[in-house]
Amino acid sequence: MSATIEPLTTRSDAPTYTRSRVTALGALGEPFQWLLAGSLALGMTMIVGFLLLVLWNGVGALWPKPIHLVTFADGTRIAGEPTRVEEFRVGPERLASLDEATRRRIQVDAGYAWRTLYRTGNFDFYNDDFRWAADFEVAKVEAPVDFYFVERLEWGSFVGRIAVVEVAGERLAIDDPRAVAAHREALRRLGAIRSLEHGAIGHVNARIERERLGLRRVAIRESEASPAYAEAKALAEARIAELRAEYQRLADEVQRLKTEDQRYKVTLVEIGGKDKTLRLSEIVRFYPANGVGWLERIGIYLSRWGEFLADAPREANTEGGVWPAIFGTFAMTLLMVIVVAPFGVVTALYLREYAKQGRMVAIVRISVNNLAGVPSIVYGVFGLGFFAYTFGASIDQLFFPERLPSPTFGTGGLLWSSLTLALLTVPVVIVATEEALAAVPRSMREGSLACGASKWQTIKYIVLPRALPGIMTGLILAMARGAGEVAPLMLVGVVKLAPELPIDGVFPYLHLERSFMHLGFHIYDVGFQSRNSEAGKPMVFVTTLLLIAMIAGMNATAIVIRNRLKRRFAGSQF
Amino acid sequence: MKYIAKSIRLGAAAALLAGLPLAAQAQGVDPKLMDYKPVSGVSGSLKSIGSDTLNNLMTLWAEGFRSRYPNVQIEIEGKGSSTAPPAMVAGTAHFGPMSRPMKGAEVDEFAKKYGYKPYAIRTAVDALAVYVHKDNPIQCMTLQQVDAVFSKSRRGGEAKDLRTWGDLGMTGEWADKPISLYGRNSASGTYGYFKEVALFNGDYKDSVKEQPGSSTVVQGVASDKFAIGYSGIGYKTADVRSVPIAAKKGETCFDATAENAYSGDFPIARFLYVYVNKNPNQPLDPVRAEVVKFMLSKQGQEATVKDGYFPVTSDIASDDLKALGLTVGS
Repeated sequence: MSATIEPLTTRSDAPTYTRSRVTALGALGEPFQWLLAGSLALGMTMIVGFLLLVLWNGVGALWPKPIHLVTFADGTRIAGEPTRVEEFRVGPERLASLDEATRRRIQVDAGYAWRTLYRTGNFDFYNDDFRWAADFEVAKVEAPVDFYFVERLEWGSFVGRIAVVEVAGERLAIDDPRAVAAHREALRRLGAIRSLEHGAIGHVNARIERERLGLRRVAIRESEASPAYAEAKALAEARIAELRAEYQRLADEVQRLKTEDQRYKVTLVEIGGKDKTLRLSEIVRFYPANGVGWLERIGIYLSRWGEFLADAPREANTEGGVWPAIFGTFAMTLLMVIVVAPFGVVTALYLREYAKQGRMVAIVRISVNNLAGVPSIVYGVFGLGFFAYTFGASIDQLFFPERLPSPTFGTGGLLWSSLTLALLTVPVVIVATEEALAAVPRSMREGSLACGASKWQTIKYIVLPRALPGIMTGLILAMARGAGEVAPLMLVGVVKLAPELPIDGVFPYLHLERSFMHLGFHIYDVGFQSRNSEAGKPMVFVTTLLLIAMIAGMNATAIVIRNRLKRRFAGSQF
Repeated sequence: MKYIAKSIRLGAAAALLAGLPLAAQAQGVDPKLMDYKPVSGVSGSLKSIGSDTLNNLMTLWAEGFRSRYPNVQIEIEGKGSSTAPPAMVAGTAHFGPMSRPMKGAEVDEFAKKYGYKPYAIRTAVDALAVYVHKDNPIQCMTLQQVDAVFSKSRRGGEAKDLRTWGDLGMTGEWADKPISLYGRNSASGTYGYFKEVALFNGDYKDSVKEQPGSSTVVQGVASDKFAIGYSGIGYKTADVRSVPIAAKKGETCFDATAENAYSGDFPIARFLYVYVNKNPNQPLDPVRAEVVKFMLSKQGQEATVKDGYFPVTSDIASDDLKALGLTVGS
């Protein structure tokens, strides 16, 4: 820095006006350089700050916290995880209700005091799952070892003691290793029940439904009075009867497992002494929050992450995992790229290589660029009106008349979402591809043409391969934009709850018409729509972290592919 | 003097006790509601489009229903009550959850297409609470005051516009602080219902910060000490307080509790509806019939409690089941 200032001082010694010093500073470009560097630093700070905020909140959200037992001055007690501490100004009414000593203590602190937010859980007992406790009301805070944090399938978490575990009539204490083993077994049994219900029974039900729809199709085509219908009906009924028998057998098996499941029970007692007995399989996870060591904590933390990534959501999306949303986001983005790549590249090829550069092409180009500036929700409205309600409804009329009035393609779904996003991102791909094509040196085209290659051969063997890295860049940008977009999707197929994935084991395996869940929408939903916004907050950060990681992952893959392509063509110039 | 101070302290202790979760009795469902018994052979896919107030509740019902019938697929979309009628007219939704009754025009639109009216099922009771920040000491507001705070037309009859907390009679640091308003967007049934009942059909002030979700209103109020907002009682968190409301000046203020909502003492309570498309001359198809029965069963109403709303009574449940031609107890 000093080196650059030096010439200034020498200059000021020269007999010139002092004003020239200012001009000189500007002419040197130093303020401008500082402005640029400052902007960069500011931008970097914001991005890094944002990432750190998400990372800090997201990474820490699933970490098991201790349980505090708080005794108030009036003798009442609560137990919960401390979540947040804040300083607050004690109101005059509140102050008036306090005794002299406390009041003086608060007045010393200029009327401020601290309070802690405890997550007390037990919503089924309290109708509330958080509670503030001001420091001056609290008499004692303990960390009892026998208090458990229990995550349940329903009603959220429970904080309190586990009184007894009943395993097939035998009463066990919770620290008995047999109780832990019984819990593991109960979870395994629940898994078996679920896989039977969703796998085998689901398959049978889908086949019954297919028979029914097939019959309906015949009825629509041939009319119900025709002999063909009678024949089809007899056939279908025989098959359905067969399937029903199969269904019954499986249902009995499930029932047997469920009866067995009933014999494994657990009784929970909250701090006030109220108890609740539930099936052992209704407990996802339990741990004595103050009695676990670091290794166990890490184990709980990892198992929570596992649940978050691989399970379906529970309790109106506030608990459980986000697997359907991860899958939905990924499938939609992939489908979008498959659609947008050929469209964008073909358009750009024509515009750059074949079209006569004139006013018409200029207008098209301006239009494409302007498309990129259209608000995304407009695309959503278009997608809903055109794809779902017009195009999709016609498909339903033609191909799925037996399912009407329930729409198949005539409503939002994975396919329409992907197409809408493809429309949204196609300008990005066109512009990037055009630039990439323009960057291929003229000498190479001319060389190719001089060797006797046709125009298409030149494009295919010379121009396109060299433009490929640039095209990939366009696709990466499109992907990043598409995966992070939520607004238009809310109209064309993203829903709050769609536990059935768009791909499953039931024919035709890929269900493009199904609605799906999306991480971006999940964030919006949990953050702004869930019953208890306080409880939803950690989930929002974890999901945001996941979405960012996913987009980064997809981009990284594309960048690796691009670099590989670049290397392949590097140095192969004429 | 000493006596007064003592009585204040006693009163405060009693209030503290009453506010404690331990002392508060958890809201239970009507024991006369029937238990839900699953039947065999129910499968299919269903779609619900409508209210975002009912979004979580519909999801809880869907989850409960799916745990009994794993092969029923239920998709839930909730962007506002106003999205339910068009979806039902277009036939894209099997259920139309709404946090307000359908308007005449919406019913007409439906009747024009199908030749009959949609059926409304009363599935839960919601008290539309007026929320303030947890440190706000305000004890009571009349409906007219609420109107004068939120509305520029003041149809409720309050003489002057209420702009600051001082206008509501508060002192100290509150006296000169302007009231910061939070509300819902216009597609929401909550917006419409609050306008009808609390604003006496007047217009909202332009300064109301319109939020995309009920929970967002609560978050806004939680982070803004001088804020006031309205939202369903189900969205209450530890960071906000619901203000007791009196129907008229001079009447008692009632808190947004289940008892006050049932008795009608709390003036801004409402039913939450789910609309179904049923031809009066044909029975409801089995899948939808089972969903309706489940919603109005003991287990279904427990989900209502879980979501923070108040359950319907067994009388209401059996009335609505009868209207749909579903027999009670089967």
